[in-house]
Amino acid sequence: MKINRLILSLPLIIILVFLSGCQKGSSEKSGRIIAAITSDVESLNPLFAFSDNEGNISELLYASLVQHEWNYKKGDMDTFPMLAKSWEWNGDSSSITLYLRDDVKWSDGQQFTANDVVFSFDVYSDPIVQSKLYGSFRNFFTDTAMHIDLKKTFVAKSSFVLTINFKKNPSPTFYDIDFPIIPEHVYKNINRKDLITAEKEIKPVTDGAFSLSQWNKNQSLILKADKKSFLYKGGNVSELVFKIVPDYNSGITQLKKGEIDLMEDIKADDYPVISNDGSLGIAAVKGREYDYAGWNNLDPDIYKKTKHVVPNKLFGNADVRKALTLAINRDEILKQFLNNHGEVAFGPVSSIFKDAFNYELHPLPYLPDSAKKLLALAGWKDTDRNGTLKKNGQEFSFTLSIPGGNPRREFTATVIQNNLQALGIKIKIEKLEPDVFFQKMFNRELEAWVAGWTVPIPLDLKSFWYSNLTDAQFNVAGYQNKAMDELLKKIEVSPNSNVKNNLYKKLQEIIYSENPVTFLFWDDKLIAYNKRIQNLSVSPLGVFQRCWNWSTK
Amino acid sequence: MEYFNAVGIGQLNNISMRKEIFKTFAKRGWTSLLVLFLLMTFLFLLLRISPGDPSLKYISPKLSPRLTELVKKSFSLEGSMPAQYKTFILNLAKGDFGISYTYRIPVIRVIERALPFTIMFSLLSFFIQIVSGFLLSMFAVKKINGTADKIISKTSLPVYAVPSFAAGVFLIYIFSEKLNIFPSSGLTSFDTESYSFIQKLIDYAQHLVLPVITLSFNGVAVFYKYLHDNLEDVYNKPFVENLRANGFTEKEILRKHIIPNAVNPLISVAGVELGLLFGGALITEVIFSLPGMGRLTVDAILSRDYPLVIGCTFVAGILVILTNLCADIIKAMLDKRIAKGILN
Repeated sequence: MKINRLILSLPLIIILVFLSGCQKGSSEKSGRIIAAITSDVESLNPLFAFSDNEGNISELLYASLVQHEWNYKKGDMDTFPMLAKSWEWNGDSSSITLYLRDDVKWSDGQQFTANDVVFSFDVYSDPIVQSKLYGSFRNFFTDTAMHIDLKKTFVAKSSFVLTINFKKNPSPTFYDIDFPIIPEHVYKNINRKDLITAEKEIKPVTDGAFSLSQWNKNQSLILKADKKSFLYKGGNVSELVFKIVPDYNSGITQLKKGEIDLMEDIKADDYPVISNDGSLGIAAVKGREYDYAGWNNLDPDIYKKTKHVVPNKLFGNADVRKALTLAINRDEILKQFLNNHGEVAFGPVSSIFKDAFNYELHPLPYLPDSAKKLLALAGWKDTDRNGTLKKNGQEFSFTLSIPGGNPRREFTATVIQNNLQALGIKIKIEKLEPDVFFQKMFNRELEAWVAGWTVPIPLDLKSFWYSNLTDAQFNVAGYQNKAMDELLKKIEVSPNSNVKNNLYKKLQEIIYSENPVTFLFWDDKLIAYNKRIQNLSVSPLGVFQRCWNWSTK
Repeated sequence: MEYFNAVGIGQLNNISMRKEIFKTFAKRGWTSLLVLFLLMTFLFLLLRISPGDPSLKYISPKLSPRLTELVKKSFSLEGSMPAQYKTFILNLAKGDFGISYTYRIPVIRVIERALPFTIMFSLLSFFIQIVSGFLLSMFAVKKINGTADKIISKTSLPVYAVPSFAAGVFLIYIFSEKLNIFPSSGLTSFDTESYSFIQKLIDYAQHLVLPVITLSFNGVAVFYKYLHDNLEDVYNKPFVENLRANGFTEKEILRKHIIPNAVNPLISVAGVELGLLFGGALITEVIFSLPGMGRLTVDAILSRDYPLVIGCTFVAGILVILTNLCADIIKAMLDKRIAKGILN
């Protein structure tokens, strides 16, 4: 009986032991900032930092030649020195001479030199490596496989003075040389073919603002400020922890408890609760992501079989697409689902790009009657009065696909369905498993869909709107327009930013009149943070941009 | 002489029985391998025919179309389906699951990271489920239809019905957010480097309290229900009345006769439950940010990381087969009639 009692009381004893050892309070520690991320990064190798988080972390570990910061006044980026302390462009911008810092050492004590820079360009552009930047060195002398020609491109005048020659005609910019530089003495020992799978073999020998302290897979990744780094300033953040929190609600609880200091992608519903919490602040990244309703401008069946571009019977007509835009109540979605954390969109350039944004254009209002008239002009009428529009015996009906498990897309699709059905258009909503959805979307097999894009900085819209569908993998609507193609080609080679911005304004005019898709809204990316973080600046480039300047109260 | 003959015959019987046992286990081993082979074949076919493209997550506006093509090519297996299948089976036989698309390291190394935690977490939860279920049922069955029995039996059903995501969120709200007793997620604190071994152990244990309770919640109710019903059933058997009539004490009857008779069906359930736990506890792992097999498998499925899906399924399959085999062996050890049944 005594033994039974002992067994019965054992769990209680264990719990009491745990409780006695419990440390109440948050994990707040001076100099330490804990940020929640939903999933672990897959690689710390900057060559393969494909995801946003991987890119952010690799840029904190490995320094670049130059760094960029968002300039809110001009709505564009400013360039600052990093590994290159200064530079000189030659007269026709066909070459740049970089004067590199001579006080930078890798975390294993080796000196950083121009050899590391040349080696990095070589490896990033090597087709065998398949790095994330492969194929993007268009302004450099390359072979047919897009591998940079080192002899033609680089002239090292000393270990710390390097000249980079660019191809004639193109317009090189600082973005061409802004990527994390890798240590030659570490990477040269690994067969380039094996680099993609050599995650464990590559020691993170770094030269950035932070160094890797601990990586507990699927738990946390801890970076420590590198006090020897030229970026380090005493009193700033000493430890940056990326804590993996896959469950959103758990993240909110931890934020309120002070277990984490920063969390991205806050739902609009949680805005009031967080903003009412005295210890928490909330910031918004505006104008980077937009949602749109995609209309397949091509006949998907013919394109799938023959790869020929034949206009879609429903959406091939620009007037019909404009009518669909007029018929969708975008304000309702923005108000009801996003609590107005965003703005109605009319094109792929947001107002954060101050010089490129076309202020003369305004979103089309919600005008179902005008939409009906436009559809009638295009031949879509309810001739037999059964409530459905018809043209040449064909009903205006289609399937609107959305990725499953995304409440915002579901809500948007329902609003679109209700709005268009009121005009006599039959819509069937189809929820697809996300991977299947995106595969079909990229193969241009869907009739209509709801999705979203993040606009790249610096602005580069060729892959979204160019008519050659092999080159424009993001032109999933299959939009075709020769005037647009000319504009995009001019933008690509234009060295002058004013000229570029004017061309972007024209591009917006074309999109505004043609409605290749219906732009729904730019949604604000909400970021919640603990107010003990000082010097936090949330820019369109991301929250962790230049985070080595943060400090804690 | 007759005595020696009897001994000789007994030895012969023992030898033939051992041979039979060996044969039976060898047969069981072969059938297990066959089950595993069929599972892998089915999985291979399922993954080949399922829609979705593992290379899609690497596509970004910054990637050139050429790189996109190269990335896509690097993910697709070359050759015809039968040739792919042959390579797949041969690699599997060598224990080579390939390289994970997501982690870019061999699959076995990815699984190595998640498996120890899952085994530890599952065994801990399993132990709590079994012990709590056993103690509760023993407590309740002492006076069948008594107040304690009624209360425990009535609450066991709602406890069983509570989904683990609700239990987890509830526990976090009470013990982490409101009372601030236990951490709400993760496996360890960030400052454990400077901790002593005991402090590390306590920190680890603190982090595991809420997840283990969440994971064990339903299991306790299941084990309780099974054992309680079996105990009640055996209690009502005529031989128990006979034992009572022969002057055996209630304690003796319970320990020597009722428990051994009631526990057998529970062992089968326990084998299945442990196998399922080894496969991963997805919801608990997600809510509490734990690095287990459940999260790894589901992430692999969602990202179409085919080699990792196959590796995880293979490991889970082996663990399910092993736990069931262990359950059968334990049953046979407890009840010789079952051993004979297996042999026959």
